[in-house]
Amino acid sequence: MEAQSEQPQALKGIRIVELPCLDRMPILAASMAAKAFADLGAEVVKVEPPRVGAPERHEGPFKAEIPDPETGGLHLYLNTNKLGVTLDLRSKKGRELLLRLLESADIVLNPNMPALNDQLGLGWPILTARFPKLVVVSLTSFGTDSPYRDARGGNLVTTHMSGVGYETPINQVTDPPNQPPLKPAGRQADYLAGFTAAAAAMCALFHRKRTGAGQHVDASLWLAMVSMIRPSIGVYSHDTPDAPYGVRIRTRDKIGVPWVYPCQDGWVSFSPLTDKFWRGTKTIMGNPQWAESEMFATLTSRAANHDAIEALLIEWLSSQKKHDVFVKAQAEHVPCFPVNTPREVADNPHYKARGFFVDHQHPVAGEVRMPGAPCKFSRTPWRIVRGAPRLGEHNRKIFVERLGLSESELQALQSDGVI
Amino acid sequence: MGQLPFEGIRVADFGWIFAIPHATAWLGSLGAEVVRVESTLAPDIVRFLGGTDGMVGINRSGMYNSINFSRRGIVLNLAHPEAREVALRLVAKSDIATENFTVGNMKKFGLSYDELRAVKPDIIMLSGTPLGQTGPYANTVGFGPTTQAFAGMCHLTGYPDSFPCGIGGTWPDFAVGVAMVFFMLAALHYRDASGEGQYLDLSMAETVTAMLPEAMMDYFLNWREQGPIGNRAESMAPHGVFPSRGDDRWIAIAIATEEEFGALCEVLGVPVLATDRRFTRLAQRLANVEALEAEIAARTKTFDRDELVARLREHGIAAGPVYGPVDLMQDSAFLASGMLVELEHGESGRRIVPGLPAGFSAMKPDYRPAPTIGQDTDEVLSGLLGFSADEIAMMREKKILM
Repeated sequence: MEAQSEQPQALKGIRIVELPCLDRMPILAASMAAKAFADLGAEVVKVEPPRVGAPERHEGPFKAEIPDPETGGLHLYLNTNKLGVTLDLRSKKGRELLLRLLESADIVLNPNMPALNDQLGLGWPILTARFPKLVVVSLTSFGTDSPYRDARGGNLVTTHMSGVGYETPINQVTDPPNQPPLKPAGRQADYLAGFTAAAAAMCALFHRKRTGAGQHVDASLWLAMVSMIRPSIGVYSHDTPDAPYGVRIRTRDKIGVPWVYPCQDGWVSFSPLTDKFWRGTKTIMGNPQWAESEMFATLTSRAANHDAIEALLIEWLSSQKKHDVFVKAQAEHVPCFPVNTPREVADNPHYKARGFFVDHQHPVAGEVRMPGAPCKFSRTPWRIVRGAPRLGEHNRKIFVERLGLSESELQALQSDGVI
Repeated sequence: MGQLPFEGIRVADFGWIFAIPHATAWLGSLGAEVVRVESTLAPDIVRFLGGTDGMVGINRSGMYNSINFSRRGIVLNLAHPEAREVALRLVAKSDIATENFTVGNMKKFGLSYDELRAVKPDIIMLSGTPLGQTGPYANTVGFGPTTQAFAGMCHLTGYPDSFPCGIGGTWPDFAVGVAMVFFMLAALHYRDASGEGQYLDLSMAETVTAMLPEAMMDYFLNWREQGPIGNRAESMAPHGVFPSRGDDRWIAIAIATEEEFGALCEVLGVPVLATDRRFTRLAQRLANVEALEAEIAARTKTFDRDELVARLREHGIAAGPVYGPVDLMQDSAFLASGMLVELEHGESGRRIVPGLPAGFSAMKPDYRPAPTIGQDTDEVLSGLLGFSADEIAMMREKKILM
């Protein structure tokens, strides 16, 4: 099943162990972090609870909405290029095997809360003491030494405690009591924390190259999301509350132009305010008389008259198709894009030309299409070497071939429910 | 704690706005020498977004200072034909070069990947643009928040069955920045192993779409187009933001199990809801989610936000206060998280900026305040690049260094 290719992979040789989230509120951050590594050639051994498997196997979307832990969309996407083993971390034997697996690992990704790790003897102080070269990555809602370390969080709660939810939607709230703060689509806190942990783990690996020492990396959904509003923190610590951005960080009300606007057949994103963008905006609108008003002469006056600009822009857009606006605006170097629906994203000629979506033949799910490389590496391209593993698919490869267990030991583990 | 992982690594940073400056802040904080190239003729617009103490100025932006820490700053007018030699001298002494100009600009400056590679064969070059370097729409301009529309994010974010929304936190700039850190380090790791550099073509839109697997996989498996579902989730209910006592004070609650739902109803003083036929199991709650949310909101409204959060947490329920930036800055756990650092900036004075969003047990990041524009020009050009004082004065006169 392994595709052969002459092209090298950037992270070949790095060994990662991804632990399962055992909490009733599943966090998928470790799965995304491990995917980032696996897709660039690192060996990822994904450890899953026996019988039930990783939480993403039970989350949709499913084909025809029929739940199947081997063919769910999230599982197929998040677990590409990984090896899959099963281990019951709540059993002593399971934990012993995990520790043997960690002997040859460079990085372990652990999405469990500190209290559970302490209970299992898998807390980071224990692991870093036992494996001094190992990079131990915690990926929790709030961080392992936060006063909130024992609080459940997850995507929704950490998003809304970060300020991102409060700032969303931006400049579109007209009825505040009936338009609560809003989370971005999907599981952004999980995925962003995953990339944050992957980047931080690489930093720790470079540190190890120099010093020989591993360490603990503490990543959290909360702080990963807080990092998204760092401009607002900078405004808070520098500016006065009555300065334009000082006001902005204190309200959800509409006090400026939004990022998106309705047009004839959908919506577009648009940024009209800077001098250059305003000139381009006027050009594509055919230089209407109203645009020459004193009200719109400078950046400051345009910002002050944002409601008038927005209304006039929307009036013009009501006769325009979103693709045409995109093309016209970009020809004048005005930031503008169509608000694409999933189908428009999937069928997009630009993504197609770049080969962004990739097809791959999965042994159980059949032909599967999914998002591919977020970054094109000229020498070590992103690629799918193997599809998401079946539950316990690589138990023999890892436990027998790697760790040296006998076939009968493997069978005993299986009948005891350890794997 | 002495040694930092990127000591000896140099970054020629031609990036601007948010994503790349955030990425290079990671490298600079962990030991790399980041030389940020700017120009007073085409300054980073972030330098004028917000100010210090109500005054806007090129060195006074709190936004700029909260992103551009731990680097040196030089001015170089890349549009001047003679600037190229200075840029190439810098690249020749660097390990990584970054840029996020509109596609084609680096080539116009004589600084394409091939030209950089000619002076530094193992250079790693990262370009980060809205839609990447190739494809029919490569030549587009855009900020992250406009680009996320193209990627599917705006359509999928919004109140249930309602209009598409722009996302706060200038989404996705800093998410893209973090991904850039990972990709640059992967390339650096490969260079250490093989001696080979490479070119990284990052599309902001593709990075965003790669973080929308729920909707994209639903489309590819079922040809179904998802739309906005507000704060809801497909597999939990309630999963939402509810009003608490006071003006614009909200609480986020996510219920993972039947037991948690029972406990929520107890705490809210409406145990009867848990046995209401509309809400007994998850499937019913999902089917009657509007009625469910209305019942819960009617109760949460009567509670103090923080008291209710505390009581729900006692029951192991995922609940939290909805914070704006100002609320967040009053949260004692956030203040103690180690993410905030106080730096003495040349013009803004002593200010708090947000550092890296992850903690390390064996490395202490080296946080230094953001540079005032061009503050290190002379030192970098004479010390690092070997230009004489006369040459520097001449270049200043010819408006190359500005």
